[in-house]
Amino acid sequence: MAEDALELIGLSRRFGDLVALDGVSFDVPAGAIVGFVGPNGAGKTTTMRIALGVLEPDAGEVRWRGRRVDATMRRRFGYMPEERGLYPKMRVLEQLVYLARLHGLTAVDARRRAAETVELMGVQVRAKDRLEKLSLGNQQRVQLAAALVHEPDVLILDEPFSGLDPVGVDALSAILRSPADRRGVPVVFSSHQLDLVERLCDAVVLIDHGSIVAEGSIKELRDSRSRRLIRIEITGAPEGWWDVVPGVELVEQLPHESGVFELAADADDQRLLDIARRAGQVLMFAPVHPTLAELFREVVRS
Amino acid sequence: MNAPEPDISGKRMWLIVARRDFWVRLRDKGFVISTALTMAVLTVFVLLKAYGGSGAENFRLAIVGEGQAVPTSELQAQAHAAGATLTLQRFADAEAAKAAVQAGTADAALIDGTDLIGSHSVAPPLVVIVEAAASRHLIAGNLNPSLTPEQVGAVLDTVPVAVHTIAPTDPNLETNRAVAFVAVLLLYGQLFGYGIAVATGVIEEKASRIVEILLAAIKPRELLAGKVVGVGALGLLQLVWISIYAVVLASVTGAMHVPAHALGTIAISVGWFALGFAFYASLFAVAGALVARMEELQNAIVPINLLILASFFISIGAVQSPDTTTAITASLLPFSSALAMPVRIAVGSATLGQIVASLAILIASVAVLVPFAGRLYSNAVLRTGSRVKLREVWRATR
Repeated sequence: MAEDALELIGLSRRFGDLVALDGVSFDVPAGAIVGFVGPNGAGKTTTMRIALGVLEPDAGEVRWRGRRVDATMRRRFGYMPEERGLYPKMRVLEQLVYLARLHGLTAVDARRRAAETVELMGVQVRAKDRLEKLSLGNQQRVQLAAALVHEPDVLILDEPFSGLDPVGVDALSAILRSPADRRGVPVVFSSHQLDLVERLCDAVVLIDHGSIVAEGSIKELRDSRSRRLIRIEITGAPEGWWDVVPGVELVEQLPHESGVFELAADADDQRLLDIARRAGQVLMFAPVHPTLAELFREVVRS
Repeated sequence: MNAPEPDISGKRMWLIVARRDFWVRLRDKGFVISTALTMAVLTVFVLLKAYGGSGAENFRLAIVGEGQAVPTSELQAQAHAAGATLTLQRFADAEAAKAAVQAGTADAALIDGTDLIGSHSVAPPLVVIVEAAASRHLIAGNLNPSLTPEQVGAVLDTVPVAVHTIAPTDPNLETNRAVAFVAVLLLYGQLFGYGIAVATGVIEEKASRIVEILLAAIKPRELLAGKVVGVGALGLLQLVWISIYAVVLASVTGAMHVPAHALGTIAISVGWFALGFAFYASLFAVAGALVARMEELQNAIVPINLLILASFFISIGAVQSPDTTTAITASLLPFSSALAMPVRIAVGSATLGQIVASLAILIASVAVLVPFAGRLYSNAVLRTGSRVKLREVWRATR
């Protein structure tokens, strides 16, 4: 399966004087869902457009199954652009059949897949309507159907969750897992909803100012980037009870001498626990896992 | 679960695009309305030609000479018998009568009762009236009971009136001019209307952002080629349909006898339209790709509009005078030949050399322009948001 990975290698792109991408490289392994996060203008959309061949890179290449991606291979990609777009006046089903045909399906396959996809998206009752007659939420579903209709072998989705209600988010999450889990499709999507990325993704790639600043699983990111934080809730302890442990610093003061403490790399958390138990009654002693949002802020700030 | 096998023959992508652009527009109300409107206008034109204008029942005849003249009472009697009215105008000499014919104030001139003179032709009913009147007068004056049968035969064999024309020309000229005039109107309408359709189609895809999805699947030139072919095929279909309608209508109403070579003219017009459309549609597509919204299109197509309009007016002029330098030049230049050359062919003024040269120039221009427009289009069509400067796009192609 490893050779089914999508590899982005050293992608660079300028727009006039603006360096949009500067040597962006990362892999999307087969069957993995990769979250692509970064501030606005960091280069997410440019990267995805290059991966889809909509935009040419100044340098670098995109490889899939170990080969440089060409037009024929790209037909097997599914794409949902950030700027949503379909023919407003065309009927939903016809539109999907047309797009499936452009992706190389025969007329028979295209019709079958279009029918299956509208059903999967739960918009089959509107299949004969013009797109513009649908609610925005349903248009969004059709947009995703357009990315999935040809059963792509690679999925690249730019902000697929924006504009969806919580029910839609859950439905889309399930839909994205399915091709990854069942057919080993590499899936990459960008999002600003970091809690969602955290829940859904096997790995995260963080981009800022056109360069990758962090990548890996959420756990790896935490281990590599974040500070060691421990939350201790305690009663009956004297003021400054933690001062005797070297490398421990109070980050956030909580009532009754409780708090969130940052430990230096060489600080001993077991020693801190011993001291705490001697100082008072420990109600809670727990490592604090930063959320992806906190990691994101930390990385982007630095 | 296996994904369906992709169709590797990617060369047909433009055909899939063309098919969509064709069918979507064919089912559009706008197409039905424009077809009906064009047919209505044509119907009015043909019916006017058939029953209005110079009129079959009302003739103005200039008369010169008294001696052998056919009595006006006899002329009026024959006109009455034919169900026509005859207005007689007396002139002092033949020159004045001919001048009246040439100026169009008289339909024909009868000189000394023996010569009937028209400008390009004399309307057949008028010839019949004058000949009948002259024969009756001749027979009444010459037949008497003492004549031998041979002498009677000689009198009856006498051709009473000789028909001449001042400018002996192609008898089909008027028909050809009418055909050429209609052809220019139709070609102009199709070139412009369907050129605009290409531009708005490009903008629709750009403004709705679907272009990004399309270009993730197919190449820009496949999308452009498909759109031009699809829209052009519909324009061609409408043109052929309207031409057939016009020919049938003209024949049925008797508005004009449509000679075989007029059908040739129509076939040539259709062919020239296909090439001229490829030329203009490429320009319209680039204009559409440069702008972000429909409202901006009017400004972007001003230069193209001027080009088509100028070609249109020159070609309308060429219907009457096809041999001016302007008309000949216009029939050779690639942006005007699609309108001007069919006109010059229709009225029989184009030489074979000019036709071949015009075709060669147009084909060569299309061959150069289409890939060039394709590149401009590719570079401009993804730049959404604001109007793109042509110079920037051109620079990006190099």
